[in-house]
Amino acid sequence: MSERVDLQEFIGAFAVEAEEIVAAANTSLLEIDVAIGQGTVRPRAVRDLFRALHTIKGLAGMIGVEPIVEIAHALETLVRAADGAGGVLDRRAVEVALQGIGAIAERVRAVAERETIDEAPEGLLEAIAEAAARGCAPIAMAPIPPEWHARLSPGERQQLALALQTSDPVWTLSFTPSETNASRGITIASVRARLGAVGEIVKVIPRAIAATAGGQTGVAFDLLIISNATQAVIAEIAATELDGVIAVVAPAAAPGRQITEVMDVTGVGAEPPAPIERDDLPAVGRAVVRVELSRLDELQDQLSLLIVSRFRLEREISSLAELGHDVRRIREVAQIQGRQLRDLRRAILRARMVPVSEVLEPLSLLVRSLARSSQRDVRLELDGCDAELDKAVADRLLPALIHLVRNAVDHAIEPPEHRVASGKPRVGTVRVSCLEVAGNFLEVIVTDDGRGIDRAAIALRAKRPIDDEATLLEVLTSPGFSTREVPTTTSGRGLGMDIVRRITVSDLGGKLSVTTHPGEGTAFTLRVPVTIAVMDVFSFQCGPQSFVVPAVVVEEIFEVLPEMLVVPPNAGTSTISPADRQASKWPRAALALIERRGHAIPIVSLGTLLAIDSGERARKALVIQRNGDRIAFTVDRMIGRQEVVVRAIDDPLVNVPGIAGATDLGDGRPTLVLDLNELGTIARQRGVS
Amino acid sequence: MIRTLHVTFRVGTADYALPAAQVLHLESFVTATHVPGAPPYVAGLVQVRGRVVPVVDLRARFGLPPVERTIDHRVVVVQVGTRVAGLLVDSAREVLQLDETSFEKPPEVIERQSAGFVTAVATVAKRLFLLIDVPRIIGEELTHG
Repeated sequence: MSERVDLQEFIGAFAVEAEEIVAAANTSLLEIDVAIGQGTVRPRAVRDLFRALHTIKGLAGMIGVEPIVEIAHALETLVRAADGAGGVLDRRAVEVALQGIGAIAERVRAVAERETIDEAPEGLLEAIAEAAARGCAPIAMAPIPPEWHARLSPGERQQLALALQTSDPVWTLSFTPSETNASRGITIASVRARLGAVGEIVKVIPRAIAATAGGQTGVAFDLLIISNATQAVIAEIAATELDGVIAVVAPAAAPGRQITEVMDVTGVGAEPPAPIERDDLPAVGRAVVRVELSRLDELQDQLSLLIVSRFRLEREISSLAELGHDVRRIREVAQIQGRQLRDLRRAILRARMVPVSEVLEPLSLLVRSLARSSQRDVRLELDGCDAELDKAVADRLLPALIHLVRNAVDHAIEPPEHRVASGKPRVGTVRVSCLEVAGNFLEVIVTDDGRGIDRAAIALRAKRPIDDEATLLEVLTSPGFSTREVPTTTSGRGLGMDIVRRITVSDLGGKLSVTTHPGEGTAFTLRVPVTIAVMDVFSFQCGPQSFVVPAVVVEEIFEVLPEMLVVPPNAGTSTISPADRQASKWPRAALALIERRGHAIPIVSLGTLLAIDSGERARKALVIQRNGDRIAFTVDRMIGRQEVVVRAIDDPLVNVPGIAGATDLGDGRPTLVLDLNELGTIARQRGVS
Repeated sequence: MIRTLHVTFRVGTADYALPAAQVLHLESFVTATHVPGAPPYVAGLVQVRGRVVPVVDLRARFGLPPVERTIDHRVVVVQVGTRVAGLLVDSAREVLQLDETSFEKPPEVIERQSAGFVTAVATVAKRLFLLIDVPRIIGEELTHG
């Protein structure tokens, strides 16, 4: 092997790693931008960004790509300045950093594709240097009393500094709980909640005082808050004298961006605590605890084990009953336990819910940066996104939404002059709206007012007619399909529409649909379950294996006898050849017809379709319906209906269409969860091919 | 000399070695849930400590004829990046310190014949251990395909 080959291999590895790091850097920047929008800071994101830039500089240096090294180095300087200042970058710095990272991404791509690598874009390095020199807005510190100063964390100081920049008044006050106050419903919890509603609580410090006969409980609380409320309002909330509320930064005299004291950053050592965000404050007097998702996952894993052992308990009770034992009492206990388990499950699920808007934060920056790079005028609207969703579902959903939004900006929204010419507002709109629907589902709708999808062009490209929106969606989401003629910098790489479908349908067990009108726009609807953890399923036996399917997709189950099937001509054979087994693909499945409620519906042997069985012992059929089209699958026998904990199986080794996940029916072995909708599509395709 | 802990196991008539750092644990093998439509060398899914893990049958992967399952069969659970997969082997052998500097490139003919699965050969007390390319075996290319 020659040296050249080795270098080529290394370049490939560089490209893969560099792309990941660029993506990570972008994510950090998005986070920082969102924080700026909220008037908070994310020192951790700034540090992540710094680390990403540093790594990419090192990587690029190793293979001698000087332009990347230069840009990364300049950005590093900029970010280091921000990190030194406790994590503050201003909007203009973010803008410049985005451009810089974009330029790095372009050059990484050029390296990967073995093209010549351009010098850094003209003016970019200068712009970055200028932003760095501007010093990322030196932080002013509110003139807070020294006894407070020492007790604030860097994050809290940051919060104060930002308040100072935005000229928000800062106050200190004390609250003393007493029996009198308690009888009027005024407690530290209510004070926190009500102050939280009119401003931001920076810090609450309890302090011991002498307990008095007047009912004081021996503790008082000193509070430091940022609020636009008047002194009187604050005093009333805290049940304190008017002059007990001291304006540290008075409403009128707020010094704006003037610097009174440069912020002390020497204390920034350990990870500063996350700044308090307005949204995180309790609504009605409840305390809030931040918990890592992994801990909730752990809790849920324990719960699933409990649910599994409950199945086993029921099984044991049944076999005792079969032996003629009196099991009424124990069954009663088991039933109570079942209800308690359900309540526990609900409580855990509730703990995992987050507002959708929280997860959608990165979208606004995405739209902004896409609009710039594709020279479109676009506005993002979020609607009804205070609906709640399991954090895990939300996290999985985000890549799908990012892709849809990216597509909308890149391909759907017309250039401003075209829009004006066709009588549309100059600024295009991409809207993400959320709608809670029955059955514990949430619909997330991504709408644009762009040009709409050109069915004729798609039909031409797919070489098949497109009569309805279901077919359109099928074509759009088939792997590798793309309408893009010219590769753009933002789209076409990585995720395709097939991924959107996979996330929505296979990973989350939801539904994807599209409506589009030429010249008016397109709407994609993602209907996803609010939680994914527990699913109501039918279990059944098919050949040597048992499977489950989500109960919601099954329209009906009926007894089927071989003589009820009408086998049309050319229906193929229902036996499996050994070659088919080997081919790791399903064989051609025979579609027959069956009469059901006055309609002829296609019916297919699930065993044959999955290449695991001849389907001769099949005695039951499950009917599913999608967009009015029904299809029936025959299975050997039904086992039952139960609630199971579904785990996604996303390893590429077992990433097979039609298989949505795995569950444990109580025997300690995985049982496959089938996606009958997808299998229906496969059966239809096999049937006609 | 850099000595690294390796887990060794047997498939067919050959001994194989994997850096212990890649191995999460060893499990006995009873049965796996067949996954219709998965590649033929995927034995199926097993549940390992609450986690659902795909298992690659190394006999099938290496083109060896299937054998009756015995109590010696083991699943070597490996982690590659974020992926966790099981390797079904005929039997697990001892854990050895192998000197990485003594690894040799396999003869080219073997490398070709083994479809690149074998990356190096180690000799310990006249016994040969084949080092294998786990990402390749669990189909890392599937991730991008």
